[in-house]
Amino acid sequence: MQTTKDTTDQPRTVSELFDAFANATYTLGYRILRDSHLAEDVVQETFIKVIRSLPSYRGEGPIAGWIYRIGYREAIAISRRRRDEVTDPESATFATLPARESVEESVMTQDLLARLDAAMAELSEPVRATFTLRDIQGLSTKDVAGVLEISESAVKMRLARAREALRVQLKEYLE
Amino acid sequence: MTMTCDDLDLLLPEFLDGSLTTSQEEQAAVHLATCQQCTIEVNELEGVTKLYKEHGMLELPNEARQRIARALDIES
Ligand SMILES: [Zn+2]
Repeated sequence: MQTTKDTTDQPRTVSELFDAFANATYTLGYRILRDSHLAEDVVQETFIKVIRSLPSYRGEGPIAGWIYRIGYREAIAISRRRRDEVTDPESATFATLPARESVEESVMTQDLLARLDAAMAELSEPVRATFTLRDIQGLSTKDVAGVLEISESAVKMRLARAREALRVQLKEYLE
Repeated sequence: MTMTCDDLDLLLPEFLDGSLTTSQEEQAAVHLATCQQCTIEVNELEGVTKLYKEHGMLELPNEARQRIARALDIES
């Protein structure tokens, strides 16, 4: 069991990392792949790699960026595999939307969540990944560029494309 | 030099990222103060971010969380 804590107090045991990043990894996987079962696979594969690599992780940069990079690569690998297989387009399963609002709000919220989900379907996978990391997870442009291994200007371009496409689709929610 | 709608449009990626130079930022502010169309557009684009920041995170379903934790041999 890893128990080393560094001065910045980042979670470092596998359990702590899982608790801290399972939802974020699931969100990244789902937003890229739009399939909740495949997103669960992203979480599992990511943490298998995290467990394997943690002993040699030297703390270069924030641990979040390291985990997101592993998660992103797993999502892309699963996406390639899916593309290579003959798949039934009806077989994708959509995410169970999180039950976190009060009962009275839930119908409206569920509708909004479904609209936000559907609107993202129009974006390409790289654009979805960029938008998820920057606008949903709140990473800086620099950190997103590091995770996706692209330039900061490419992040900004993709982000502008994502926001513009989503703006058009979600106009009724934006007044 | 005054900034046009097209000028602002070209700078939107940097504008929304908050990474314009000070002088570009000032020119953008001058343009926005007089252009309702661009103001609406910028507000809506910022609204997109706000919507997803508030509602875009998903929770790994509990059943999957437990199954994965077991597979990884960790407690969660
Ligand atoms: Zn204008």
